[in-house]
Amino acid sequence: MKIIKYSLVFLFLSPLHAEINETILIKNATAMTAMKSGTLQNTDILIVDGLIAKIGQNLNFENAIVIDATNHFVTPGLIAPHSMIGLQEIELEAETRDDSTDYFSSGFSIVDAYNPSSALIPHNRTGGITTAIVTPSSGHHVFSGMASVFKLDGKLTEESIGQDIAMVMSFGGSEDSRASQMLLIKDGFIKAKNYHKSRSQIMRGGYFDFGYYTPRDLEAILRVVSKEIPLIVRTDRARDILRMIAFSNSHEIDIILAGAKEAWRIADKIALESIPVILDPMDNIPSSFDSIAARMDNASILNNAGVKILITSQSTHNSYLSRQGAGNAVAYGLSEEDALKALTINVASVFGLDERIGTLEVGKDADLLIWDGHPLEVSSFTKKIYIDGKEISTVTRSQRLRDRYLKKLGLD
Amino acid sequence: MKNIPENKVSNVLIILLLLIHTQLAYGESESELINQAYQSTYKPDTSPRILIKNATILTGTGELLENSSILIDSNRIVSIGNDDANNAEIIDAKGKWITPGIIDIHSHMGVYPAPSLRGNSDGNEATNPVTPHVWAEHSVWTQDPQFTLALKGGITTFHVLPGSANLFGGRGVTLKNTRSVTVQGMKFPNAPYTLKMACGENPKRVYGNRDSEPSTRMGNVAGYREAWIDAQSYMQAKALSEKLSDDEESDEEQELFKRDLKMETLSGVLKGEILIQNHCYRGEEMAVMIDIAKEFNYRVTAFHHAIEAYKVADLLADNGVCAAMWADWWGFKNEAYDMVWENVAMVDQAVNGTGCAIVHSDSAVGIQHLNQEASKALSAGLRAGLDISKARAIQWITLNPAKALGISDQVGSLEVGKMADLVIWDGDPFSTFSKAEKVFIDGHLSFDATKKGGFIRTDFDLGIINPEGDRL
Repeated sequence: MKIIKYSLVFLFLSPLHAEINETILIKNATAMTAMKSGTLQNTDILIVDGLIAKIGQNLNFENAIVIDATNHFVTPGLIAPHSMIGLQEIELEAETRDDSTDYFSSGFSIVDAYNPSSALIPHNRTGGITTAIVTPSSGHHVFSGMASVFKLDGKLTEESIGQDIAMVMSFGGSEDSRASQMLLIKDGFIKAKNYHKSRSQIMRGGYFDFGYYTPRDLEAILRVVSKEIPLIVRTDRARDILRMIAFSNSHEIDIILAGAKEAWRIADKIALESIPVILDPMDNIPSSFDSIAARMDNASILNNAGVKILITSQSTHNSYLSRQGAGNAVAYGLSEEDALKALTINVASVFGLDERIGTLEVGKDADLLIWDGHPLEVSSFTKKIYIDGKEISTVTRSQRLRDRYLKKLGLD
Repeated sequence: MKNIPENKVSNVLIILLLLIHTQLAYGESESELINQAYQSTYKPDTSPRILIKNATILTGTGELLENSSILIDSNRIVSIGNDDANNAEIIDAKGKWITPGIIDIHSHMGVYPAPSLRGNSDGNEATNPVTPHVWAEHSVWTQDPQFTLALKGGITTFHVLPGSANLFGGRGVTLKNTRSVTVQGMKFPNAPYTLKMACGENPKRVYGNRDSEPSTRMGNVAGYREAWIDAQSYMQAKALSEKLSDDEESDEEQELFKRDLKMETLSGVLKGEILIQNHCYRGEEMAVMIDIAKEFNYRVTAFHHAIEAYKVADLLADNGVCAAMWADWWGFKNEAYDMVWENVAMVDQAVNGTGCAIVHSDSAVGIQHLNQEASKALSAGLRAGLDISKARAIQWITLNPAKALGISDQVGSLEVGKMADLVIWDGDPFSTFSKAEKVFIDGHLSFDATKKGGFIRTDFDLGIINPEGDRL
């Protein structure tokens, strides 16, 4: 695994738990831990001060709020690995979107655009997403900008729990040759390295040809060059993946693949290079000549080859449908436990969040969900949501509309 | 729902009568000519006698039969619940479920194929807001690899529509999911024609961006009404011309009555022969469209993408209009913002359960998992306290779309005499973990997951990844 930990960064950025947290004891759960321990029957989970304090059987704690979870699955909160939650409200209405820019490229940070009051947040939280890696869609040229992490508790004062933790770019078929895109990427890295060498002269007013980039963009690329952050590469074609692997090796950087519809063709190579893959297992359409080999068992082939997979939904509005993708991956050969990991701990570990979230584990943030059915079934939804040990409402705007019209139709 | 079947049956009858009439008096009227020229050439070979037994059967008629059997022979369903094999090949379906073949009432496969290229993007004649003269079937690429993906998801029949750029987008076509080089070889025999109409944002965006009409919703409505007025005038002029040519044997030269393709489609709607499939998201717009239908005396068969159907579910039920819906799509445009997960269930349950609810895909991914979409819609209804069974919910993707396409006398449920279109699932089709294991179309095993190569590939799939292999 080439991905480094960013826990130090997060230590400084983590929100203060100023409020007094209640102690909660969840009893008799079927706990899917997303760890080696797998699924634990009749298990109690104790939450103290926003953290998971104890996991075991027959736990007791004085004055704890007791929640009976008999016959209910409990999982860690799910993490959306690649979405635009908080950056867009209505896809076709440009003024409601903050996921792209015409001015910056690699250095574009979306942190200041995040809207914790978006209707998408309670919607996806009810579907099981408690944390989202929020990514820009596109920027000036091949780089889209940088991704940041937010917990979906919807607080107006919510701060990112991981700011600018990965850079995002796209590579593949478009108006401009993919060879030209590769040259732009290479030029960006060379320029960043030259900029690094001559920074002091530039500061003193020396000439530097920034080309397509701003100083901000080159500073961001230097963070990739130094392996401080990984580069997420959105690409589908097997050959393009191989070219990006060659590029990453030549600059000794860490990459994460996203999309990767043809990745199964080179599963062993991707496993050998320890490159994680973000994918939607249901995206089996050969929608362009970049993804002719798309297929339903991409996820299980990669996973079985030893690749760390992170399951996403292609719809930001329904980011929680990553669960449907995971369920379908199970139907096509992935184990249930690996599918759950692809929704939780795999995402956390790839983005350096695994000290805090991603598993049901003592000491971690109490971000967890009590389900009304099997979490990988499309028919299931959350019954209770906890983020940092606090119960968060499962009500959504959709439910408010539903209730109003159930009444009007006499169906309530 | 009550007042829909009769109407559909009568539509089918009208068309059958027309066809018979055509044979007797060939070339007498335009609509007969049209049916003659473009009719289906699909004719399945005689299928073997097969008994599938020990299965859990969702009949599509509202029943769930446990540990039951179904006998198919010569392309038709012969009996249900009768274990007498009588020389039939036997399939033991213990632990498996059977449903009617799944029907998607809203697809753009073939007209927006994969891979998506400029050269094969043929779904929207977005050059004029009123194009009822174009027919989706004349755009269909029969080698779209999405067809076989849908087959693997249990889709046996699907309705291909033109896109929604226009007020009147053109005629839709109902296809069987069989491989054929010609579109005529896929056309569902004797299925009525449909006409795609579109409300709301799409037409006004496409034409408004060109500074032409319509650029507003009121512009949309004026456009529909003007077209229907033209159709009425056309019908009057045509009737008058026919009367004159019948009555007058004088030497006076008759002005030749010129056919108008746009008006032929619109008058087909006004005569009740062509079914309106209306893309429409908002509740108030659906109510307006129902009023327009009243003004010009036609019927809206179904609203598609009806995100806000739940807001007018009683109006839809009272007027016998179906709503075809997604389980959970939302937010991609303003008119899709008010989605509720319970939309399908609320339409279904409206006015004492007389609503007509359909789950559709409009997506090459969604069409492969329409059973999961139905499952989402059902579970949302149950969470809202509505009492809906799986036996009823399966109708959202089988019998109800069949009704709204005017083909429910042939498909949509497992009933004796109907086409032997059915799916054997490896588990409960409402579970995400279940897959279609065997798909029968007209009694022929068209997809078999248990056999490598258990289906016919499209031309596209051959040698496309490497010359010696196939795509899937």
